[in-house]
Amino acid sequence: MASSRDIKNRIKSIGNTKKITRAMEMVSAAKMRKAIEAVLKTRSYANLSWSTVLNLAKAGNGQNGQALHPLLIKRKPAEKVALILITSNRGLCGGFNSAIVKKAVESIKRHQASSHEFILIGKKGAAAHKNFGFEVAADFPKLDYINEVKEVVPAARLVINDYLAGRYDKVMVAYTDYVNAAKQIPRVKQLLPIEIDETEKYLGIVGQDTRLGAGQEFVAEKEKQHLTHGEFIYEYTFEPSPAEVLDEMLPRLIEIQLYQALLESNASEHSARMTAMHQATEAAGDMVGELTLSFNKARQASITLEIAEISAGANALAE
Amino acid sequence: MTDKYIQFEIVTPERVVFKEEISQITLPTKMGEITVLPNHIPLVSALLPGVVHAKKTNGEDEIISISGGFLEVLKDKVVILADTAERAEELDVSRLEAARQRAEELKEKARRGEKVNFAEVNAAIERELARIKAVKRWRKLKNIE
Repeated sequence: MASSRDIKNRIKSIGNTKKITRAMEMVSAAKMRKAIEAVLKTRSYANLSWSTVLNLAKAGNGQNGQALHPLLIKRKPAEKVALILITSNRGLCGGFNSAIVKKAVESIKRHQASSHEFILIGKKGAAAHKNFGFEVAADFPKLDYINEVKEVVPAARLVINDYLAGRYDKVMVAYTDYVNAAKQIPRVKQLLPIEIDETEKYLGIVGQDTRLGAGQEFVAEKEKQHLTHGEFIYEYTFEPSPAEVLDEMLPRLIEIQLYQALLESNASEHSARMTAMHQATEAAGDMVGELTLSFNKARQASITLEIAEISAGANALAE
Repeated sequence: MTDKYIQFEIVTPERVVFKEEISQITLPTKMGEITVLPNHIPLVSALLPGVVHAKKTNGEDEIISISGGFLEVLKDKVVILADTAERAEELDVSRLEAARQRAEELKEKARRGEKVNFAEVNAAIERELARIKAVKRWRKLKNIE
């Protein structure tokens, strides 16, 4: 049996670990609240810009049946696929990173593409390359606090330019969707080309639980409310022209999508870490309990032994 | 027509800056400055950095600076999707001047061939100018010195 001193040392060290994990849990909880707030704030912009793009695309298609902008044209089949993988910078957040990397690898393997490349945001994404041997096209640093769209602009520009240049036929983003504090779902969504018929695929516009109106319905409702006057249906005027407005608007939309994905991932990361740290704190508590028990046993055993020795000595003297 | 008011909303990716009923609004679009009154035809346009001037239903003025974005006008609704936007009340002139100064210095550096992103610096200057203009207009309206 370990000596009582050894056990005491272990209790102390586990106690310290427990303090740290508890502190980390608190910190994550605070960060999570902030991250969730940010997610909700972006949502109204995402919804509004999406509905405008839908209207634009509809109006533009009416004229000659041609898609108005290269970002709206679907290329078949998708030969070259890129995937933006959003992970955390640090570990100690349970299965957060491994889940998203696994999901990303799974979905990219499903594509019958001749080339697939990863674009990483966050340090832990390196696992995709290390463990699965995928090509990494770019690695963007991720800040711990994200509060401006500016931070995703370089990544968005990169994929848009490469897409237009024909380096990729399809761009996807893998992120962790924040559902609630206990549930986060890794998801892969298509970023480019923008498919106006598949609104559900887009982030922040989706009508999931608390979210605002789901894409198409949102737009249809809007049309009914604001664009009709009796029998008469208004048509949009575009200044300077639909193509020019789309030219500016679509890259913005991509940026917002990416920003939203990043915010969702952030909220998920913090809540995953909070859960992991909560469990660690509990485990440390259990361990301290067990060790205290064996420490007491060891102490009692040594006292018993001592008494036995003393009484044996006294007996020997008495004889 | 019964609609005398416009539901006005200006949002940036970070927040909803302003949301209220107004009676008219003046905006800097790419095609020049326009004023939108209730029952305007539906319009979508790109915006330049500048000052947005809205008249609230109670006759008060609201000045907002924007650094570019998009405008969507519906029959009784105006939505601005701005890159950044601030209400003039929230802005502080001395800090704005300082920010513009910094941006100008950066521009000077860029001209001398140092490694600065010229387009970004120019955008920053325009943004600050729009903010300053917004504050000045606001002060004039409110007669604050």
